[in-house]
Amino acid sequence: MAPVRLSNSVLGSFRAASRRSALWRRACLYHSYEYNQAPPFPPAESAILSAALAHVPTHGFTSGALTQGARDAGYLDVSTSLLPRGVFDLIYYHLVTQRLALKDSVQFLAEGEKGKSLSIEAKVRSLTLARLCANEPIIHRWQEAIAIMAQPTYAPDSIAELARLADEIWFLAGDQSVDSSWYTKRASLSAIYSATEVFMTQDTSKGFIETGKFLDARLEDVMKIGGFFGAMGDWLDYTGHSAVNVLRSKGVRI
Amino acid sequence: MSPRLPLRVQWARSSLPRRFASSSATSPEIYDVVCVGGGPAGLSLLTGLRASAVTSNLKIALIEGQDLQKNRLPQDAQLDRFSNRCSSLTPASVKNLQEIGAWSHANIARIQPYQEMQVWDGVSDARISFDWDSARSMLFPRKPTQPTTIAYMIENVNTTTTLLDRLTELGGVDILSSTKVDTIELGQNTEELDLSSWPILTLSNGRTLAARLLVGADGANSPVRTFAGIPSRGFDYNRHGVVATLRLEGPGRGGLDHKIAYQRFLPTGPIAMLPLPGNLSSLVWSTTPDRATKLKSLSPPDFSAMINAGFRLSPTDLDYLHTLPSGQADEIAWREKHMQVNESSLPMKVIDIQPGTVASFPLKMRHADTYTGDRVALVGDAAHTIHPLAGQGLNQGQGDAAALARTIKSAVETGQDIGSLLALEQYNSERYAENNAMLGVCDKLHRLYSIESGPIVGLRSFGLRAVDSLSPLKSFFMGRAAGV
Repeated sequence: MAPVRLSNSVLGSFRAASRRSALWRRACLYHSYEYNQAPPFPPAESAILSAALAHVPTHGFTSGALTQGARDAGYLDVSTSLLPRGVFDLIYYHLVTQRLALKDSVQFLAEGEKGKSLSIEAKVRSLTLARLCANEPIIHRWQEAIAIMAQPTYAPDSIAELARLADEIWFLAGDQSVDSSWYTKRASLSAIYSATEVFMTQDTSKGFIETGKFLDARLEDVMKIGGFFGAMGDWLDYTGHSAVNVLRSKGVRI
Repeated sequence: MSPRLPLRVQWARSSLPRRFASSSATSPEIYDVVCVGGGPAGLSLLTGLRASAVTSNLKIALIEGQDLQKNRLPQDAQLDRFSNRCSSLTPASVKNLQEIGAWSHANIARIQPYQEMQVWDGVSDARISFDWDSARSMLFPRKPTQPTTIAYMIENVNTTTTLLDRLTELGGVDILSSTKVDTIELGQNTEELDLSSWPILTLSNGRTLAARLLVGADGANSPVRTFAGIPSRGFDYNRHGVVATLRLEGPGRGGLDHKIAYQRFLPTGPIAMLPLPGNLSSLVWSTTPDRATKLKSLSPPDFSAMINAGFRLSPTDLDYLHTLPSGQADEIAWREKHMQVNESSLPMKVIDIQPGTVASFPLKMRHADTYTGDRVALVGDAAHTIHPLAGQGLNQGQGDAAALARTIKSAVETGQDIGSLLALEQYNSERYAENNAMLGVCDKLHRLYSIESGPIVGLRSFGLRAVDSLSPLKSFFMGRAAGV
């Protein structure tokens, strides 16, 4: 079955923001088990950015980290001008690579194998936690990254990347819904993920236990609300029919 | 007045000499009314038909899967043991039973009228009390002749025995007890008879009956409703009702002559204690399925203590108490020492549970799309299932039975075919909207009181207090609930 992925139109409005990165995106728009995804970044950029990320814990998300990364990769300091968005490209590289790494870092038992297979909700939880854990080495610098992502120039790309992450998680969890819950699931997971990410920057507990608890509480809220709207649908269906039935019992021909 | 029968009824009866023949696929026995299900609604309908001079010539059959004689209330039933299946009969239902001559057959010693009802909010403690004295305004005090009874607590087995006694006294109904309906299908058009629109019932004893009017009084999973292709809609509440017969420390706050029913709305569902004769009471506790399982597994002293706590402690305390594996009695005794409760407004304490009466059933709401089809009418649970929080289920069934008996009577009087949709229209029109309103009110009350916090709690408490202080409004609600 062809999995349902974010459509062009959903992201179309964000696309114009950066023509240069359009090539990367086209490669990320759908999943195919038969086709190997092209690497999301050109080799030179990839080399500089991955080397720069190693300097983030000490230098933070700054142009300093980028310069250090360029030197480590064997390029001149000036080669950071390859990256017109500067530090945001560094953040973006982190977001994209960690999102793509999810499918390899978390493995679920295929159905029918030994052991009880996890529910989709439990898979969503462990995938979200795995993605949060990928922020762990740089978590003390992540507030800087959040501040840069929130800048008006970069916000559309950041939000689009968040949407892609939510989509990735639901896809990897095996969600195959094709109704309106497709949208609500992704929207609610995006909200939960971003809230939990902010919480994690403040979390001082060992092994980020508190973050896990926070995530569970938010996911539970959504289940409750989902149950509420599901019940609401049943109730509306019943009430609609009973109104018609009462009128019919009084001889109205409907 | 001589009973008038529609011509076709007489023709059908005289043209079939083999009326009591055993099984024959080609010539089923023809009946005017076949009622499937011998519960309170079905029995009440048939008694009503037999008691009226107009309809007493109809040929009637009753089919019941269980043994009706075996399930009767024994004459010498002891007054210290009561069934856990009790219902509260409203004055309107009792009036109907009196009109069909059944009420005088009831075992009065086992019926407990109650005169007051206390209802309160488990979260905010907002309270309303229902009694006819306080519902009258100062200008129009209650006349001594007016009744003071809100409703009558009666065991379901007492209701069915009462109706069965009256039906036996009237006679003339072919009661096929311990008989199941194997199939229901439409008949055939032969040279002798056109039964193509008639339901033909094949019974487990081999007999086949053709019904001019087939009445489904066969409960929530009604095969008659399925035959008629009438959909039934609604939802499961994911709640179970835990029932038990309780022994209290005394006859109640008002003594033996002024009995009080109590109901407290907890976020998991209402807990209600309804008075029975003497020191006994009947419990209905609506709660989540896992808590129902938990309550049923407790030892009698722990369960008694939990019921007392259900009327006294806060929802938070109750949440904690449900997590204990055992020893609730000690825990509650300790907690009660440290909290102030106004005992005079609460039911007397439970001291014992009658063995073997603790049971539970799932709560759901269902309503059939219509009560009538071609040669089919539905009554009671076959037509609707309601949340038990207002104790209206049995009364709705009695109301259905009375209305259907009236409809059949007027059809016979005007010479109509009693099975035709046209003749049955009046029944559906009379009952559907009324039952729908009652189902809706109980459903909304359940939803309103399952909210644990937030502004809704304040609003509902305000509303409850407002109704409590406005006598005419309260009188209106009591009138609606009493069906008068």
